[in-house]
Amino acid sequence: MSNQPSGAQLVISTLKALGVETVFGYPGGAIMPIYDALAGSGLQHILVRHEQGAAFAADAYARATGRTGVCMATSGPGATNLITGIANAYMDSVPMVCITGQVGTHLMGTDGFQEVDILGMTLGIVKHSWLVRNPAEIPAILAEAFAIAREGRPGPVLVDIPRDIAATRVATSDAATFPEWTPPAPDADALKAAEKLIGQAQKPLFYVGGGVEMAGAAQELRDLVARTGIPLVSTLKGLGTLPTTDELALGMLGMHGTRAANNAVQEADLLIVLGARFDDRATGKLNAFAPNAKVIHFDIDRAEIGKLRKADVGIVGDLKIGLPALNPKVGPIQKWVEKCKADKWEHRFRYNAPGQGIYAPGLLKTLSEKAGDKFMVACDVGQHQMWVAQHCEFPNNRAHLTSGGSGAMGYGLPAGLGAKLGRPEMHVVTVSGDGSFMMNIQEMATLNRYNIPLKIVLLDNSSLGLVRQWQQLFFEENYSEIDLSDNPDFVVVAKAFNLDAFRITHRHEVDAALDRLLAAERPTLLHVVIDPRENVWPLVPPGASNADMMEERWDEPLDSY
Amino acid sequence: MSHLIHIELDRLEGSLLRILGLIERRGFHIDGIELFDLGETKRGLNVTVRVRDAGRTLETLNLQIDRLYGITRLDADPRGATAKPAKAKQEARA
Ligand SMILES: Cc1ncc(C[n+]2csc(CCOP(=O)(O)OP(=O)(O)O)c2C)c(N)n1
Ligand SMILES: [Mg+2]
Repeated sequence: MSNQPSGAQLVISTLKALGVETVFGYPGGAIMPIYDALAGSGLQHILVRHEQGAAFAADAYARATGRTGVCMATSGPGATNLITGIANAYMDSVPMVCITGQVGTHLMGTDGFQEVDILGMTLGIVKHSWLVRNPAEIPAILAEAFAIAREGRPGPVLVDIPRDIAATRVATSDAATFPEWTPPAPDADALKAAEKLIGQAQKPLFYVGGGVEMAGAAQELRDLVARTGIPLVSTLKGLGTLPTTDELALGMLGMHGTRAANNAVQEADLLIVLGARFDDRATGKLNAFAPNAKVIHFDIDRAEIGKLRKADVGIVGDLKIGLPALNPKVGPIQKWVEKCKADKWEHRFRYNAPGQGIYAPGLLKTLSEKAGDKFMVACDVGQHQMWVAQHCEFPNNRAHLTSGGSGAMGYGLPAGLGAKLGRPEMHVVTVSGDGSFMMNIQEMATLNRYNIPLKIVLLDNSSLGLVRQWQQLFFEENYSEIDLSDNPDFVVVAKAFNLDAFRITHRHEVDAALDRLLAAERPTLLHVVIDPRENVWPLVPPGASNADMMEERWDEPLDSY
Repeated sequence: MSHLIHIELDRLEGSLLRILGLIERRGFHIDGIELFDLGETKRGLNVTVRVRDAGRTLETLNLQIDRLYGITRLDADPRGATAKPAKAKQEARA
């Protein structure tokens, strides 16, 4: 045996050279050479219990830390199990590198054991992908993969490595380094044109998406809002970029947005769109969206400008460079700002729900207030996800990890795990539903193995609540396959995984339970039993204009929650 | 109305499928393709496309193709006046 490194050893040494500390993965036949090289390498590997968990954990690790997440899996079923997670990262523009084992090159194309064309299957959900044909190229390909994942609009990159390529020893002196990348500065003329439009506007409004925090420009945005005094609405992913408690933060726009946010969009005469993409859940009926507004659209990805809504001024480039350069002379907008603030106050959420049962929105609001500055949430998908977006306060950016573009149930638990590993100083809370939790419930074993002190709030309405709500409202109460009243005892299940777990069913128990959860030093699950009939309000019916919100409210004294 | 898109690209695993798949997925018919050789590391591709889904524009499609890795040149309808070359992303990085 020579002293030359194998392809597999190059994978590990390159990951380390690129600064990777943590990899989420699961071994198997075709990737065995890489796992062989991994053992004793000093690279931290987190063994999840399903490859989907690895992809979601890597995704959340990236969102929480701003670094690139890494996951790996074997060929065939291992690789296909990653796919939902890759799609999730693609839809939300999360930098991630996925390494898959592939069958040996002599078997490729012969229907070899555990062969799938993972490169072909994922073409539409990656920024780029490689099939490695020459082991000597591994350092260069991996360095390029990491560069592509984080540059411009971030996204997932796949590197598929056949078993024989990983096992072959090669002479290489190629030490991997990150290629330098200078974020593109936005065009000065476009910025000037934007300043002019802002100066002319009487009802300007910021519409902020996830792109701002991904550009590391949250502070730059906060400064811009402070210097212009222009109010702001946020997408699901943009929440916390400006603290949600800021008086100019009108909340989330769109289907489950706030009335104040949707009203402001409908009335605005100028939308300043920053790192957002006019997603249909945000815009409602597109041709009724912001009917009076001119549009400034600022994004790193020029393919987004004009994709769904014509931009009067398009600005392509890095938001971190561009936002500080925006210094418009804002016109007399006080009346407009006062109206927005008054709207926010008038339509603020009420927490005095009737009855003694636990009101999930109130619980979530209290949770976020108690956790304060250290609050970070990893969400699942459903009603509970919308309640988190509506009712939690986010003083920080990178603190609301949620499956936005993809809406993938099962994200919450592995995402919480990945986020907690990346940001151990935070109170990371997974908020899940009884349906979603079951989709990656096995990851409690990962929490236990590494003793990751994740806090889990499981909002159990014994149903696929969001689907039930739509069936109630839009399918004439024809309830079809949404009942989960035969759920297992989640406290028993969690304890079987060696988590601490306890249950609450009454409103008066909430305070003490949240204190106990936040003080916990071990992985802990709080099982919250809630009324299955509870709905998410307000709501824009599918296909309707954001001006047509449905709402439910109780006209009782406020603040008695 | 059909449009000709002229693309020059690095010879990379899956690169043709990547482009053709994107065009169909983004709401266009592919009416014709023509491949030509540009040496060891590059090739050329002419694709004739036609809009399938209302609301999709050739301009956005071009930008979506152009942001793929390994596209070194893209001219929409080189017969028309709107042709504009795209920068290679590898060069843009340097
Ligand atoms: C993987 C996946 N399958 C199906 C759906 C469709 N879906 C959206 S919300 C939802 C119900 C979620 O139920 P639960 O997790 O209990 O949350 P709840 O709405 O009850 O709070 C379903 C089935 C989805 N988003 N993701
Ligand atoms: Mg539920």
